[in-house]
Amino acid sequence: MDHAQRTRSRREETRSPSPIDSSTDELAAASDHEEAQRRRQSWSHSKNFTPRRANPKKRRFDDSESPDELTVDPEEYWSASHNRRSPSPINRPTPTEGSHEDRSGESDEYADNRVRNDMNDDRSDTPVPTAGAAPPPPPPKPDHLNYKEKYALKAHLRGISTVQFSPDCTMIASGGSDAVIKVWDTLTGNLIYTFEGHLAGISTLAWSPDGQWIASGSDDKTIRLWNVSTGRAHTKSFIGHHNYVYQIAFAPKGNILVSGSYDEAVFIWDVRRARVMRSLPAHSDPVAGIDVVHDGTLIVSCAHDGLVRVWDTHSGQCLRTLVVEDNPAATCVKFSPNGKYILAWTLDGCVRMWNYVESRVVKTFQGHVNNKYSLSGCFGMYGSPEVRYSTPPCFAVSGSEDGDILCWDLVGKNILQRIKGHTDAVLCVHTGKLNGKRLMVSCGLDLTVRLWEEVPEDTHEEIPQSIPNTDGDQAMADASLDPSAEITPAQDVMMT
Amino acid sequence: MNLSLIDPFVLAQDYPDTLTEKLHSGHATCLRFNHTGDYLASGRVDGTVVIFDIETNGVARKLQGHTRQIQSISWSRDGRYLLTSSQDWKCILWDLKDGARVRTVRFEAPVYIAELHPFNHLLFVASLFEDQPVLVDISSPKPIKRILPSAPLRPQPTGGEELDPAVAAKQAAQDAKHSTCVTIFTAFGNHIIAGTSKGWINIIETETCTTIHSVRLCNGVVILLRLSSNGRDLLINSSDRVIRTVLMPDLSQLGIDLEPSSIKLQVEHKFQDVVNRLSWNHVTFSSTGEFVTATTYMNPDVYVWERGHGSLVKILEGPREELGVVEWHPSRPMVAACGLETGGIHTWSIISPQKWSALAPDFGEVEENVEYLEREDEFDVHPAEQVHQRRLDLEDEEPDAVTLDPVKSDAEIDAARAFGVPVLLDIEDSDSGEDIIAVGPGTMRRRTPGAGRDPVNGDTDKESRPAANGVARGAGRNRRR
Repeated sequence: MDHAQRTRSRREETRSPSPIDSSTDELAAASDHEEAQRRRQSWSHSKNFTPRRANPKKRRFDDSESPDELTVDPEEYWSASHNRRSPSPINRPTPTEGSHEDRSGESDEYADNRVRNDMNDDRSDTPVPTAGAAPPPPPPKPDHLNYKEKYALKAHLRGISTVQFSPDCTMIASGGSDAVIKVWDTLTGNLIYTFEGHLAGISTLAWSPDGQWIASGSDDKTIRLWNVSTGRAHTKSFIGHHNYVYQIAFAPKGNILVSGSYDEAVFIWDVRRARVMRSLPAHSDPVAGIDVVHDGTLIVSCAHDGLVRVWDTHSGQCLRTLVVEDNPAATCVKFSPNGKYILAWTLDGCVRMWNYVESRVVKTFQGHVNNKYSLSGCFGMYGSPEVRYSTPPCFAVSGSEDGDILCWDLVGKNILQRIKGHTDAVLCVHTGKLNGKRLMVSCGLDLTVRLWEEVPEDTHEEIPQSIPNTDGDQAMADASLDPSAEITPAQDVMMT
Repeated sequence: MNLSLIDPFVLAQDYPDTLTEKLHSGHATCLRFNHTGDYLASGRVDGTVVIFDIETNGVARKLQGHTRQIQSISWSRDGRYLLTSSQDWKCILWDLKDGARVRTVRFEAPVYIAELHPFNHLLFVASLFEDQPVLVDISSPKPIKRILPSAPLRPQPTGGEELDPAVAAKQAAQDAKHSTCVTIFTAFGNHIIAGTSKGWINIIETETCTTIHSVRLCNGVVILLRLSSNGRDLLINSSDRVIRTVLMPDLSQLGIDLEPSSIKLQVEHKFQDVVNRLSWNHVTFSSTGEFVTATTYMNPDVYVWERGHGSLVKILEGPREELGVVEWHPSRPMVAACGLETGGIHTWSIISPQKWSALAPDFGEVEENVEYLEREDEFDVHPAEQVHQRRLDLEDEEPDAVTLDPVKSDAEIDAARAFGVPVLLDIEDSDSGEDIIAVGPGTMRRRTPGAGRDPVNGDTDKESRPAANGVARGAGRNRRR
């Protein structure tokens, strides 16, 4: 206890010179109040997870209106000034066809984000608004989400283990223990294809970044590729694993596929030749989760031995190992859209977000039931895309064995929405965005694939139809799409 | 994303040391990495161009259109277009999106080297065998060729005094002997650097096609010119067995504070083997221009010099064959060279040992034994519940999981925009037995390189068939129409 006291007081000391406390009276008062509130919360031991907060607090330095640049986080200052020196080309008012040809939606979007930060910084020179005046520059993030069921897609005969949006989100692929893959139209909910060919249940699938192929990993130890434009199977299946294929992921260029298997190995495949390029002596238990970072340089794997390992794609070397104290079996891993964090599901009923560079748990999300199945989820974006938040509001989403889908705020760890609808365990959730509408698709043991759509709750606060692609996860998926071939939502907007 | 996790000592090593891979597809004769280093294009003896994916070491695309050995390869800046020149007197601009030929340009002679303009993929410069070098504009389907001068720029006679006719005639005769062997663009493409058979370097303005500066730097034929990636250094390989590095003046300042008359090309280093008098097959800069690499004639070694002091830092042990074209990866410490005998492509890079401290979170690598100091509270017993809760309370930062780090350099911006060659799953099927063709049921034979595949060139092919396999440089002479 003594130790705890000490750390707390030290933490307060370090916080005290922050510009919020030292700026105007109103703000100082507010932060005092928050401080007290925070302290109260942290002392209440009985709670399992932090309660909802109507207004998650802001302690970003650049939110303070202090013009003193020394109080600004130097890294941010420089990144902002860097932007100022070399304005990114996307600021052009009318995008010309030729110049935009090779730009992906992703880079536009992120550049846009940076520019926004830049603007925030520029605005910090203006006088501080009083508390009673118009709302302060970064408005509060919404404290809840409102996803509503759009379709319940029923065609699978047995439990569905995996579901994925295509990179452009126009299609949904689902696969399960009935050993077939079904491809659905996102807009209409119609079944487009049924791919049959696997000899055993499918536990994972992945869309190739160009949206042409679906790769599926099955308990028949093979990985097969299916062409979505022709509806045919690829002639070569990926044979090499000695046991069930548990999870697969494409590298962003689509030339590499990574698979984790019950045979405890991670295989890196050359997609063109359908051949194993490298086998990583990864784990001592079945490898349950695999993901590749957005630039393809890192692979993360996790296994039932509780270890989460980060690998260098090029050299095949282990760069980091992350583990929590009691080694609960890790069942799924996902990189954050910017690749700085890893979300890891463990069978102790927690989803942890790791800062893998510092080997440290940043957030622990709880509230779902997970002690049996390999649940899978992902990141998603929320909040109005027109509002400029200090950090882009982002949530983590996961299924639960009680049939709910849980969305946690990445900062406050509070549950933004508990989506009810499934009648049995939800095994996989994926977020996406189509025509400016945020979507979520889920599947589970109740043999249904459910498509959820974010709907505006209040009539006065409508979500505009045409919004730039702020969905990080979706932007990631778009990154390797060839923009000249497909119209990504981001471009869609610029045309109109 | 992986840079923050990699051992800084590994990152600090900037030249390769071990032979690592061998890429094989036919008999490669020339190589070139694209600007981001994701792909390596290789030209083969049979005229096929093969694009290798560096990440998988597999073939990403094959381009068929040339009928003779490929002489040079040049990538467009975005990596989507590829210009190849060949001994079949043609240059082809390829679109890697679908592997189609965008333009085919025929010349009156075999092409030595063709290079794309750094910013305009519809403009290139080509040096031809025993012919005038040309600047070719292919923005329209009908190429516009402009002949570039080969003769060095003579100092203009100062006003009044007439040039002696005898001297003038002698100079004209001398000028006629010059032929240009290499032409390359400067970093911005406003100028062309040309190397002549007499060892002169001419700087030619792209817009006007006039020589603005000439200097004689070598005693022999200029075999190859290369610019470093930032365009500030020029590398000259000459038949006098000396590799020279030259500091380039900033030609973009021309007309502002640099006059054509005051351009000065200064030789910085001369790399040579004084003892054995080795001659150099091919030379290249490293990605940063910090190192110079060369393959040697009749020798399987690759020499690496460092430019700071001009010293030899490494001789890469090669395979047991003489090496031809050598290329340095644009970002990694990796060198690729193709063997002259087998036509295989060998790569050298760094193999870093696995850090075992990465295998468990509580492992650490220490130089020597360290006395373990117990923390004061290390064995304090706290209720598990409390510990857990306290840990949760400490998680109070605001992670930003979406915003990417701002791009720092032009290279990263380029990389973000770089064109990715589409992944073709049936690439192996399209041309699996690359050197073997079926002539009947169950019978196969080796394909003759470049055998009658070009209908245009079909009949001349037969006459010069013997030349096709080997010394094709001379083949052009009796084929001129």
